[in-house]
Amino acid sequence: MNSIREKRVVIVGLDGVPFGLIENFTDNGLMPETKKLIENGLFVPMESSIPEISSVAWSSMITGKNPGEHGIFGYTDIPQGTYRLSFPNFNNLKAEPFWQIYGREKSIIINVPATFPVKPLNGIHISGFISLDLKRSVYPESLIQKLSEFNYRIDVDASKAHQSIDMFLNDLDKILKARIAAYRFLWREEDWQTFMLVFTGTDRLSHFLWDAFEDEDHAYRLAFIEHFRQIDGVIGEIADNLSDEDVLVLLSDHGFELLEKEVNINFLLKENGFLRLKPESERNYADIESGTQAFALEPARIYIHSKDKYPRGSVEKSEYQKVIEELISIFKDLEDGGKRIIKEIFQKEEIYRGSFLDQAPDVVLIPNQGFNLKASLKANELYEKTIFSGKHTQHDAFLLIKDFSGQDIIPDKLSVSDVCNIIEKLKAQR
Amino acid sequence: MHNKDSTCWNCPAIDLAGKVDFRACGQSVEEFRKRMDLEDSGQIVAECKRRPDLGYYDPMSITFKECPEWQKGPYGYLLRDMRVMILGIDGYLGWALALWLGNLGCQVSGVDNYSRRDWIKERGAHTVIPISRMSARLKAAREVLDINLNFREIDILNERERLKEFVDEVKPEAIVHYGECPSAPYSMIDADHAVYVQKNNVLGTLGALFIMRDLVPETSMIKLGTMGEYGTPLTGRPLYEGMFPADAVLTWKEQEWSLGGELTPRDPPSFYHTSKVQDTYNIVEACKYWWLRSYDVMQGVIYGVHTEHVSADPRLRTRLDIDEWFGTVVNRFVAQAIVGIPLTLYGAGEQIRGFMALEDAMQCMTRLIASPPEPGQYAVVNQMSGYHSMRELAKTVAKIGKKEFNLPVNIQRVENPRVESERHPFNPIYENLPKKFGFKPIVSLEEEIYRMFELLTQPNIKSRIEEKKHHIIPKTWWSGEKRKVETIEIFELEREIARSEKKAKSHGQ
Repeated sequence: MNSIREKRVVIVGLDGVPFGLIENFTDNGLMPETKKLIENGLFVPMESSIPEISSVAWSSMITGKNPGEHGIFGYTDIPQGTYRLSFPNFNNLKAEPFWQIYGREKSIIINVPATFPVKPLNGIHISGFISLDLKRSVYPESLIQKLSEFNYRIDVDASKAHQSIDMFLNDLDKILKARIAAYRFLWREEDWQTFMLVFTGTDRLSHFLWDAFEDEDHAYRLAFIEHFRQIDGVIGEIADNLSDEDVLVLLSDHGFELLEKEVNINFLLKENGFLRLKPESERNYADIESGTQAFALEPARIYIHSKDKYPRGSVEKSEYQKVIEELISIFKDLEDGGKRIIKEIFQKEEIYRGSFLDQAPDVVLIPNQGFNLKASLKANELYEKTIFSGKHTQHDAFLLIKDFSGQDIIPDKLSVSDVCNIIEKLKAQR
Repeated sequence: MHNKDSTCWNCPAIDLAGKVDFRACGQSVEEFRKRMDLEDSGQIVAECKRRPDLGYYDPMSITFKECPEWQKGPYGYLLRDMRVMILGIDGYLGWALALWLGNLGCQVSGVDNYSRRDWIKERGAHTVIPISRMSARLKAAREVLDINLNFREIDILNERERLKEFVDEVKPEAIVHYGECPSAPYSMIDADHAVYVQKNNVLGTLGALFIMRDLVPETSMIKLGTMGEYGTPLTGRPLYEGMFPADAVLTWKEQEWSLGGELTPRDPPSFYHTSKVQDTYNIVEACKYWWLRSYDVMQGVIYGVHTEHVSADPRLRTRLDIDEWFGTVVNRFVAQAIVGIPLTLYGAGEQIRGFMALEDAMQCMTRLIASPPEPGQYAVVNQMSGYHSMRELAKTVAKIGKKEFNLPVNIQRVENPRVESERHPFNPIYENLPKKFGFKPIVSLEEEIYRMFELLTQPNIKSRIEEKKHHIIPKTWWSGEKRKVETIEIFELEREIARSEKKAKSHGQ
């Protein structure tokens, strides 16, 4: 029971929801509860992490750190000294999430991506995508029984969308309803000071049906809207249950836009002789041959195959910058139908700082509108058209603070790694 | 090392947790576990049960050679302290394999319900090499070889829950399935025996497959089949290893169809062999439905008494049966030679079979255990090191018996109680074990027969053969008759040798 009615903090995350979508849906009456919050609060665009993917963005958000400080640079990683394609998890996060830093306050953390496997905390933690095993996704474990009663699942089975969009939407809806039931139960039954709830179905929906957002006549337009309406209802419910003293923050980790073409950058690296795989290759990273100068990991992180970092590495320290410049010259002019594919190219020192800088990708590419950069080793062509209709964007995540107008705590170039700091300031101000 | 490039994808220590689709930021667990579809977009994500510190990773990215859990050994890389469960550990092969694997550092567990001992007792026969009770066997393994075997008395057909508990407790990383009734004549005694053999074999194995699905889906089943599944086609077409090769084509009425990858025809020559064929289909389907992994070992006739470990102490010996139901041909011939019964050829005696010495069979099994199939893979090996006609085999046994042990050995042709081709072409393909698993036979037929004579002529064993020699000549007819076969002719060894030498010479010319 909520016997303690002191100032509390609630963070509601909407994975992959761009500033523009919230603006559009609230202006058109599709998210009335969120609209009310915008009218009396602060609603601003926010930059995602680089790269603009959920595991990096949420890790930055919950720690307030740069990837060079928290050590998560993507969904995948190849530990130095190996060719093992690994999937970093919560154990690899090198900085403390806010709920551990403020351990005296009881926290309820639901469905934050990249927080599997859960660790003990003062409160409750149900991890988000990637969590392939429910047992290690829930702290305390005793809560699993209750979650099972709600048919709680971490995430929609993405492969369903490849079979049938209707089946996928049905699954997505069931998971959303179960998540709402779990949040309501924990909100009501537990005492807490911090409550963080992330909806990730928004991102899955947008990957497969972003065109349903852009096209008003789309067959699945209503299903797309309905998902957001349910979330809007929860936002209203949460706002109504908070006192004026409490802090309510809505945010997203990255934006979304229409996907026009997938661009396979490892294919380009192979074509230009930077990447060599064994002739009989199964097309995985273990097949990288010694003449390789660079390879890419999803989505567009390029690693120099340095002699001092990889068993078959071939790039000497003295050649490092030259290889980078060669790579830049290939990517900067890459065009499709007169349209430049790459918007920005960063070397690691430009975007990362911290003690894990050494593990960072050497070069990161940010694509122009419509292009989705991918690093599949299996691709046989540079361009690909897939079933996906939406892709992440780096520049237009959003931040919405209820009943707040002070711009002074918002940095000029607001980014996901500023969120922790902003929340701290909000708590101090009220 | 034949298995150096195998990866975690093959390794039983892997937990194939699911699939991540980075393009959709999606994960797939339920659907992946149902279908394990490699073609769909998405990355398969695995976790190592032995090295949880690796976190989630791509199972194709670590080879056995790179993994510290896989250690170089005489038969390829072998998983350190690999947990191997042997179903039928008390049998002729099961016991020898338990000691063999234990000696290689495997953590061996095993189940048996002593049914082999019971069947032999029921027929009034006995193993001519005396074997100890299981408790004494386990004690001797500890004392003599420092091997601890984890044994549980379980009937795999009728005590499925207990088997399940044991599998859950041990979590085997390979299951060797020797736990079936291996006798064609036993299955042909009468309706009760035929029903029993098929029920025991087919349903026992089917139940074990469900247990694997539920508890250890990453574990491979190395299942004992038999070369007899194929029969002996009179056309002389090759006996491929389970499936037709990729370029096999069926041509009929001027049309062509590819047969590549399809199971080859089976022509089992007894209700026992039929049970093995049914097993084959059940395992194929289990691999297809549940992504289980299995090697089906189409084994030739195993003969012999020796491995370093069973020979280390009388209490460690494996059994040797010579009766008409469970005595296989070489073992039976040697026993007959010792007690003066002319070696029995059924009918024309030109039947050809594949053979392998006990020790080589152990080597093969180890190589299969060390090189597990991929998820969903059902593969077959024809396990034999050579093939011989019964007549040639009888001559080899007789020659060694006469020359080396001064025994007056003759050969006889008797009525054939079985329904089988007595003269037939035989064209087995047995390339998988040498080519894919690095198998090289090290024991010659003559060498092992010599060893058998050495052991079986020892007075205590010879007297055990004498005691049960009346069970050697067959009385079980495929027709259902119950009478001793009659002798068609007896021929002297010298005359037979001279005849075959003349034949060989004329072939040479």
